[in-house]
Amino acid sequence: MTAITAADAPTQAPAAPRRSRRAREISGQAGWAVLGWVVGIAFFLPILWMVITAFKPESAAETWPPQFTFSPTLSQFRLVWDGMGPFIEHSAIATVGSTILVLVLALPAAYALSIRPVGKWRDSLFFFISTKMLPVVAAIGPLYVIALKAHLLDSLWLLIILYAAMNLPLAIWMIRSFMLEVPTEMLEAARLDGAGRFREITEVIMPVVSPGLVSTALICVIFAWNELFLALNLTVTNASTMPMFLISSVPQEGLYIAHLSAAATVASVPVIIVGWIAQRSLVRGLSMGAIK
Amino acid sequence: MAVLEDVTSPPAAGLRPRGVSRRDRWQRRLPLLPALVYTIVVTQVPFLVTLWYSFQSYFWNEPGGAHWTGVSNYKEVFTDPNFRSALWRSVTMTAIAVIVAMALGIALAVLLDKKFMGRGVVRTLIITPFLVMPAAAALIWAGPMLDPQFGLLNWLLEPFGVNHVAWLTTHAYGSVIVVMIWQWTPFMTLIVLAGLQGQAQDTLEAAKVDGANAWATFRELTLPHLRPYIELGILLGSIYLVTAFDQVRLMTNGGPGTETTTLPFYLYQKVNYAFDIGGAAAAGVVTVVLTIIVASFALRMFARVFQFEEAG
Amino acid sequence: MAGVRYVGASRLYAKGAKPAVDMLDLDIKDGEFMVLVGPSGSGKTTALRMLAGLEPLDGGRIEIAGRDVSDVQPKDRDIAMVFQNYALYPSKTVAENMGFALKMQRVPKPERDRRVHEAARILDLDETLLDRKPKALSGGQRQRVAMGRAIVREPKVFLMDEPLSNLDAKLRVQTRSQIAELQRRLGVTTVYVTHDQVEAMTMGHRVAVLSGGRLQQCASPRELYDNPVNQFVAGFIGSPAMNLQTAPLTEGGARLAGAVVPLAPAVRVAADRDRLTEIVLGIRPEQMHLTDAGPSDTVPALGGSAPAAASVGASAGADPGSAVLLGDVVLVEELGADALLHVRLTDGGGSVVARAEGRKPPAPGQRVAFRVQSADVLAFNPATGARLAG
Repeated sequence: MTAITAADAPTQAPAAPRRSRRAREISGQAGWAVLGWVVGIAFFLPILWMVITAFKPESAAETWPPQFTFSPTLSQFRLVWDGMGPFIEHSAIATVGSTILVLVLALPAAYALSIRPVGKWRDSLFFFISTKMLPVVAAIGPLYVIALKAHLLDSLWLLIILYAAMNLPLAIWMIRSFMLEVPTEMLEAARLDGAGRFREITEVIMPVVSPGLVSTALICVIFAWNELFLALNLTVTNASTMPMFLISSVPQEGLYIAHLSAAATVASVPVIIVGWIAQRSLVRGLSMGAIK
Repeated sequence: MAVLEDVTSPPAAGLRPRGVSRRDRWQRRLPLLPALVYTIVVTQVPFLVTLWYSFQSYFWNEPGGAHWTGVSNYKEVFTDPNFRSALWRSVTMTAIAVIVAMALGIALAVLLDKKFMGRGVVRTLIITPFLVMPAAAALIWAGPMLDPQFGLLNWLLEPFGVNHVAWLTTHAYGSVIVVMIWQWTPFMTLIVLAGLQGQAQDTLEAAKVDGANAWATFRELTLPHLRPYIELGILLGSIYLVTAFDQVRLMTNGGPGTETTTLPFYLYQKVNYAFDIGGAAAAGVVTVVLTIIVASFALRMFARVFQFEEAG
Repeated sequence: MAGVRYVGASRLYAKGAKPAVDMLDLDIKDGEFMVLVGPSGSGKTTALRMLAGLEPLDGGRIEIAGRDVSDVQPKDRDIAMVFQNYALYPSKTVAENMGFALKMQRVPKPERDRRVHEAARILDLDETLLDRKPKALSGGQRQRVAMGRAIVREPKVFLMDEPLSNLDAKLRVQTRSQIAELQRRLGVTTVYVTHDQVEAMTMGHRVAVLSGGRLQQCASPRELYDNPVNQFVAGFIGSPAMNLQTAPLTEGGARLAGAVVPLAPAVRVAADRDRLTEIVLGIRPEQMHLTDAGPSDTVPALGGSAPAAASVGASAGADPGSAVLLGDVVLVEELGADALLHVRLTDGGGSVVARAEGRKPPAPGQRVAFRVQSADVLAFNPATGARLAG
């Protein structure tokens, strides 16, 4: 893909009309626009197709050639709606619960690693990151046994605990990076004004950091909601989440594509919307706070 | 940007009264403790238990529970060709997916850095694959997209001579990698884009005045500037992708045969089909050791990334 | 060798908005050091960037060495630029920074190295710095690398965008003279932008004063100081700034601080022609000479000017070419060699600054008298700011 813009073409013609420069600018922009939109739609296409298929009756979903015009129906969604009750409830509880737990643990930890740091803050940070590097897949067998013995198997508490552990390093790094942006002068001024530890937190730090907390929470929600591996191995019915619901929409026999698409759409839409809202913080979350 | 107080440097002699220092140190540690203790308990305890079980022979479907068996599980792991091939497959699939996703990510980031109409919308479209539930993505690709009979891809590629290809049978390896790339390119794009947007404008202008055309500017200035971002993206992408499970389980179930069996899937099979807790534990321990070796390289790189974060 | 011409050059950022640069006409001779000076927003940096090719022209044209370069890419204009924040390439060594443009021109390595070393020598850049990256350098060193990058190219025109503004005061004074001397030695046409009028006055062969996108006056520093063409230039050039006071016109001249300042006949004629009832008087602090404050006619004037008697208060004095202004000292700034007196003039005459001997300046609260020569006084139209007669 050539990165040379149209504006690079050298001109020697004296006093070329202003119009040609505008024209070159516009055509250059148009070129990028076309490329951009083509790429954007190409990436979005499978999702678009998923949503379209969700509105099809099964008969129209498994056809050749694939149908683009059909009479849309909400019957798939109705089926999904009927079936997903407990699953979506479990997902919501596990997601919100684990996110709250994460924030409660991560906020003070981030504080202790940025504004009023402990002696070995570098080591602590690396420890947290290293837990993310250890594959949870490795311990899944023993985890199952532990959960069983602790009577936590197939329970939402188990998911809350594990998801919180999964997201904690991320949250600590993210919130820490937000706290680092509190201007030292503000903290010093507050200290001079006689603010104690508590006031320092509520009146100086929280206002600056709040938007960051929201985006951290949203990132944690995304990862917790989408998680499959732990849910698959450690839950059965009492705590099964939306990813499990999706798997169950694939029956052994019979037509299922439209139904699956509807289930996939319903399962994915909440997080997609959350992600669109938290777009700006996505980078910070994904890079664990290394990039602003 | 707030400056971290450097508590690690020794205080000037005689300036800090001892009593305050100790109390101060514990006051600082207190907020960190809940998260620290929680993480240690929830992550290290399972690992220790895994270590324990790796020395046991423990089959879920056999009566009698676990009994000591020394290193026989490990012997099995090292001699099991399936383990080696699963390991190899994890490494290669991750490497290919990460490299291609990063290459695409750089290209897309350059695209998104240019101003054009609807740029924000295009960006939103591009990041959506990352947000889609991986399970949903896997199932949608497996069904409506790649199915030999009615899949959209076959229909799109028909004018190019493609005829009802059964992607998940004949090209399983590639298909799984494609889905991984599709889901992770947005991640790479966003990281590289952050790097691009952090480039100083006047440096680029100076290059213009110095006679560099767009390609020379990219090669000589932009790429070196992007290096830490690219490294970070590859590092994090590898960490996330090497444990990817959803795509394999839901698209190919490790098949056909063991063509797409990666390490996570291998472990999953050992637990759920072989009911071999001991064997899975041993394999898990080996995986963790290998990960630690790789991760220590990774952490060193992260330290460098960490440095550039402090430099602002 | 090259002269630079701006012919009616304009730059608009948005339709209907005020132009950033408005019909600029400037003729810069080959080898000249031209300073563009003005407050922020005056358009000086935009004008420089238009010359560089970093901003497009919305009207008029720009010529370098007689050739219209209005639509020519920066790299083809044969110019070199020193940026305000230096814009050094962070991933490259100092030597690579300086040689970058030559590399783009495909100059072979030995020739590149030679020219880089030569430029480093001219700028007094230590050889050991050549292999370092910019972030390992001090501010002053980085500034020299930025200059070196420009020199190495041996261009037709040097462009400099406030290159001294990021240096500390002492280094700034030092580097100022180095740049001026360098330019004299190399003889390359230089266009230099600054907001600091001291830099402008000390470095430029000619200075172009801009305000609000428009050229106010382009002349030698001496000419700008002695003969400002309008109120803006008068108040901008000179430190401390010229005192500008509105004064109503009377029979003998203009009334200020209870005295009547006589005006030259040409000024009166111009004022009458414009049907003015009041004018703005411009008196430089160094032209306000302290004189004994007594009402006596025979007290000699301090500060060396000659007239036998002064006109004090409302009485006409024996010296028709001067006036004595009375005021109270509010603040004294002692600078060592001299002192700056902040004085509130009587009769609602406003606040002025006067320069006095450093040894024993008057104290705050003291009443003082100043003699001003009408020949030193400038007059401006209060509405347009234009200089009257002059």
